[in-house]
Amino acid sequence: CGLVWGLSSSNARSDSEEQGGAGEPRISPARHPFGKKQLPSIPKNALPITKPSSPASAAQAANGTHASYGPFYLEYSLLAEFTLVIKQKLPGIYVQPSYRSALMWFGVIFIRHGLYQDGVFKFTVYIPDNYPDGDCPRVVFDIPIFHPLVNPVSGELDVKRAFTKWRRNHNHIWQVLMYARTVFYKINTMEPLNPEAAVLYDKDIQLFKSKVVDGVKLCNSHLFDQPKMDDPYAISFSPWNPAVHEEAREKMFTHKRRPEDHPKGLQVSGLSWVKPGSTQPFSKDEYPLQT
Amino acid sequence: MSWLSRITPRGTDGRTNRSAASASPCTADPETCLMVFENHWRQVSWVLEQRDSVAGGADDLTAVRNHTDQMLCLLAEEKPAGGDSDTPAMGPILELVVSENVLQRLVQWHVRRGLDPDSQTALLKLFEMLIGRSQQPLLQHSAVLQPLLGLLGACADPQLGCPPSLEASLVLLLNQVCVCMSRQPAVLELLFRCGAVQQGPTNLLIFSLLVPFIHRDGGLGQQARDALLLVMATSASNHAVARYITENSYFCPVLATGLSALYSSLPRKIEVHGDDWHALRREDWMGVSSLVVFMNSLEFCNAVVQVAHPLVRCQLLDYLHNGFLVPVVGPALHKSSVDEMIASTAYLDLFLRSVTEKSLVKTFLRFILLHRHDNDTILHTLLTRISSNSRLCMVSLSLFKTLLSFNCEDLMLQLVLRYLLPCTHVMLSQRRAVRETDLYGKSADKFLSLIPECCRTTTAATSDREEEPAFWGKVLGSPNSESPVHAKPSTPSRLALFIRQQSTGVTGPLSSAPGPESAPSSPRNSAPLPPSSPMHQPPDPSEVESGYLEYLRDARRGIELCSWACRDWSAPYDGDNPSPSSVPPPPPPPTSTPSLSMVPEHFSSQRSVLADPAQQRAAAVAAARAEWSSSDRNSGEWDITISKNCISLTPRSKKRSLLPSSVPLQPSSSSSSSSVTEVPLGTAEPTGPLHHAVPHQALYNGTGQANECVDTPDGGMEVKKVKRDADVSGEPGPNGGVGMMGSTESSLALEGGYGDFHVSSAKKPAPSQVKSNLLPQAQTCSPSLQPSSQTLNCRSLPAPKPSDASVAAGGSQALESVESLIEELLEQAPSEPDRSELGDSNGHGISIEAFHQELRELEERVRGRRAHSHSAEELGQDSVPTSPGPHRMDEECPPPESEQGAGEPKSDGSAGTFSPARPPAQPLTQPYIGPFMTVLFSKLESMLQNSLYVNILLTGIVFQLSCYPQPLLRSFLLNTNMVFQPSVKSLIQVLGSVKNRIEAFAAMHEDFPTMLRKARRFLVARGKLDWTDPPVGVPPLRRSDSLVKSRKPSLGDLILRHTSSPTRARHAAQAALAHVRDGGQSLHSALFRGAVAASGASSLEKQAEALRVKNTVYCAVIFSEFLKELAALAQEHAVAMPFPPSQGTEE
Repeated sequence: CGLVWGLSSSNARSDSEEQGGAGEPRISPARHPFGKKQLPSIPKNALPITKPSSPASAAQAANGTHASYGPFYLEYSLLAEFTLVIKQKLPGIYVQPSYRSALMWFGVIFIRHGLYQDGVFKFTVYIPDNYPDGDCPRVVFDIPIFHPLVNPVSGELDVKRAFTKWRRNHNHIWQVLMYARTVFYKINTMEPLNPEAAVLYDKDIQLFKSKVVDGVKLCNSHLFDQPKMDDPYAISFSPWNPAVHEEAREKMFTHKRRPEDHPKGLQVSGLSWVKPGSTQPFSKDEYPLQT
Repeated sequence: MSWLSRITPRGTDGRTNRSAASASPCTADPETCLMVFENHWRQVSWVLEQRDSVAGGADDLTAVRNHTDQMLCLLAEEKPAGGDSDTPAMGPILELVVSENVLQRLVQWHVRRGLDPDSQTALLKLFEMLIGRSQQPLLQHSAVLQPLLGLLGACADPQLGCPPSLEASLVLLLNQVCVCMSRQPAVLELLFRCGAVQQGPTNLLIFSLLVPFIHRDGGLGQQARDALLLVMATSASNHAVARYITENSYFCPVLATGLSALYSSLPRKIEVHGDDWHALRREDWMGVSSLVVFMNSLEFCNAVVQVAHPLVRCQLLDYLHNGFLVPVVGPALHKSSVDEMIASTAYLDLFLRSVTEKSLVKTFLRFILLHRHDNDTILHTLLTRISSNSRLCMVSLSLFKTLLSFNCEDLMLQLVLRYLLPCTHVMLSQRRAVRETDLYGKSADKFLSLIPECCRTTTAATSDREEEPAFWGKVLGSPNSESPVHAKPSTPSRLALFIRQQSTGVTGPLSSAPGPESAPSSPRNSAPLPPSSPMHQPPDPSEVESGYLEYLRDARRGIELCSWACRDWSAPYDGDNPSPSSVPPPPPPPTSTPSLSMVPEHFSSQRSVLADPAQQRAAAVAAARAEWSSSDRNSGEWDITISKNCISLTPRSKKRSLLPSSVPLQPSSSSSSSSVTEVPLGTAEPTGPLHHAVPHQALYNGTGQANECVDTPDGGMEVKKVKRDADVSGEPGPNGGVGMMGSTESSLALEGGYGDFHVSSAKKPAPSQVKSNLLPQAQTCSPSLQPSSQTLNCRSLPAPKPSDASVAAGGSQALESVESLIEELLEQAPSEPDRSELGDSNGHGISIEAFHQELRELEERVRGRRAHSHSAEELGQDSVPTSPGPHRMDEECPPPESEQGAGEPKSDGSAGTFSPARPPAQPLTQPYIGPFMTVLFSKLESMLQNSLYVNILLTGIVFQLSCYPQPLLRSFLLNTNMVFQPSVKSLIQVLGSVKNRIEAFAAMHEDFPTMLRKARRFLVARGKLDWTDPPVGVPPLRRSDSLVKSRKPSLGDLILRHTSSPTRARHAAQAALAHVRDGGQSLHSALFRGAVAASGASSLEKQAEALRVKNTVYCAVIFSEFLKELAALAQEHAVAMPFPPSQGTEE
């Protein structure tokens, strides 16, 4: 697999930095050339904002006590959702809020085994602008995937069946992403958006499989296409180019996240002499002579 | 021989010539040099062999000296004869010196004939020259080392030291030896071994000789310390030497106990004249020689800990703990005079900021957290100081700020976390929510909603808006180093949002992410967004202008730094780990000492009810006089929250014992106008740390409370107050006001009971015992107390919903007594002209404030309803305020959760809300959030009365605390949706009550918007000044930074009066601060003018009133900014990413 996903050229300047910036601990074993999951963090200088013309959220903001802080709330809510996604460390899923709107996230999902093995599916998440009080987010694949729950024309995944009512505090976007991944491993043919796929899966699994393989091939053959959306933060793939990617990958592996403006020569800070499991101060004894 | 005269010119000033020689190195070839040397040696040895010629020594001595001078010069100039750089071959002269043992024989000859000081000096200098300048390693040859040690032994004794005249030469020589040793570590071993032969147990002679100079000041001490440090570093891996140092030298004890001696010479009193002073900065102490000496030694300790062998380090830390901290610093912190408390607290703060070695920090922290002085930990003592009067409070807050900046788990555990660990403060059903973050901005919204309405208005500000800097929002942080201020608003990262929105909306996507340079410099400018985007209407400039983006950035930075620092903590403190069920129960609310030290504060801030206008006037006059007349008392002690511009350099009162204010206390109390409760408190308690402070408190209570019950402890007072209360409000009808007042008063009585009680039982160690005794005693103090006390108790039971019934009960009880009280007070009216002398202005400022506030609230409810409303209004106008809230924060008793609806202004429930008292027997069973949170909340609640600087420090500390990512702490402070147990007051509740009071105040003052604007402008101006200061936070101790910032005259050496004459200091300080005054004075006078215009009282009264108004106006500014800060923190916590543990790899 010689693919590298990265940000489109317009944003390549900060590409590596941002990927590093996500700074996930190395927890998952590397089972992929870029085995270390990396989510690009929201670029420092460019938080996404919501789309213009969103009457619903405007109303919401107006309802709030302090309308002028409204933008902060929505953006921070989405940023918080994004933070939760990062913390979840979903295997094989990467998302990136778009440059233009915090309500639109670009994503890609890697399927590593099962019927859809080797599939690399790009998608876009659309978050309703009255989030978190609206419907569940929509997930639309760039290329309609042959799947019972994916609309063969629009490429939209049937998310609603899993989130009939979107409940703030209980439902989070990472769950949607998790669901988007699960559908490729556990196939459900009830009330399909793509009846043909559903029927084939139930009746002629072989044909289903071959159609899936074709679909995966099709998707992968369009991998290097320009992103569907003209957005600086759209996810774009390019063939492995050592000049560009070696260094970026190196940074991803070696990066250690530190506070943004970490004072140099930090004075003593972050001390702890508490023995793990104890709640007594100075229970961890390092110096035998201490009285 | 011409070369000879060139190198070794004769003369008495051999040293200068030598240095000239070294500048132009000898060009002679080694063989010639050897020849010359041999020649000299021959002549010298001829003298040396004249064993009997001692008698005729003068000539001999001169000859030997001259020859020796030249020989040693030759030796020093000689280059190694080859070989590698590690083991160079000896040059021919050195070879001769070694083989003939030249130096040894020379020294022995000198010693034999008796060394006079002159020869000693000469020899020491000679050796120093030789060792310092030699081109080849010498000390590894015992033919050099032995005579050196012999000489040292002859000149100085490790025990007795050496004659003063020799000191300089001796230390310089020792320093040179150590420098050599550090280059050739093998020498250490040699020194050590051959010393063992010669000197027995004191075998590291050079070391023993240096130790006496450890604490010397000036260059000599520095040389000695440098030399010792070299020994330490060289011996860091030499166990034998380390053992020698620890077992056979006095190094560690001398170092540690020397600190003690130096500490005792520090000024006991820090004379401060700016009312914002709260911590010793480097400029402050650079001019104080005793402090400089101390800090040098402390720095040396730090360095030793850093480089020395673990054995030495541990011993030193041990001695520091047991020989310095415990016997010296501990008692110093517990000194009874406020001045000394201030000084010792400021010193401790300075020390903590100065030490950099972890293990040394640990020693300090252990001392603070675990050491008990008189049964209380140091930490506890320090905590109680926060509730004290301004200066001590500020210094203590500053110390805690320093402590928090360590991000130390042990400290946070003791301070806060252990009280939260059991999770008893949250409702059982809410425990899961501990980990939740403010995902949807609900908490942030809640915080922002508490910004008082009166602080939002911008209409009034438009007139002179252009004069205001775009960003004044960040002034909040100006004196705080943890939220650095931005002199120029730099573009916050998130600002790009708005810009991008703007440009994409109009011209489509930008080709590249907008850089900061493309961003407007302030949100106000950046606001323009396409009108088509309702969502992104330009934020109301008035609000966003206040730098919310900046706050978000500060919050992010604070959280990041904090969570990075805490990444190696032993547990996440998330409500599960450590498990709430497994943790030991936190200590119960303390009962004895804290109440003693806290009660006075409550008295001071809320209690002193000035019931009678004359008294109020007297008090006001006193306050104003104390504040404004520069000769009355120095503001360093009782910071009166004057503007920083009025730097009154008033070194009058030397000792607190001379309290000018306390003198009239006795008479007045016997003249039936002082409250009985406080007097015993202040005078009878002998050991409380605030003992000295207490008389003051008692004092203004004395002046303030004209309750006449002299003989009956609290009971009488209470009843009367309650009576008056009912009287004012008139009827049991709509009792909100009545209930509130009544309960406040009764709580006073109850607390009086506490105080009284504690006086008598202060020595009882068991809190539970104290508790159990409390109620009965309070009730039985006097018969008259009983009924109302019971009323009080039943009313203040932490009922989730205060019922009207209980209010009514209190109200009706109270009816008659208030009336009579007021009458009594009125009768007393004209009594107190002399009182003007005694007021502590600080206290008055506070109490007047509180009383005013309360009365005003009361007044609103009863207005027009009652015949007596007239008197109420009168009271309302010039008198002052018990703000009831903080009562409940009394450390010893967790507050009842009655202020559920704190955010809502005075619902009926506020009757219960303001009921401060609770059954004393209960607290033990109730969750307790710990003394730190309790005292912080209490201080927050009295924000209106706090000085600007206290509020700045206070909010800074809460900000610091709120940066901690541990869910237990984060949820406690920032999750406004959490439901706490009824007895636990939440931050949002505290803030809600402050909001209400600010709004009420604003409603009273028509010119509030103007004053607010002026206050903001002053803060901006002040902030600009501060921005040019070096950060207050951590004055570095490194020598490289030791250059005092000379840009502006240091306030510090002006501050510490001991260095210069008071007069000079005063002039200097005035000069230094002229610019500040120029900037602010007019502003302040304007502020006061506006505030006082209405009242027709004397000018001093006006000034007192102005002070009170000023505090409130500043509070309103700070409060609004603080809320934005908290909102930003809540939002940033939701998007913060944790840092993984460092896995032991230190970075």
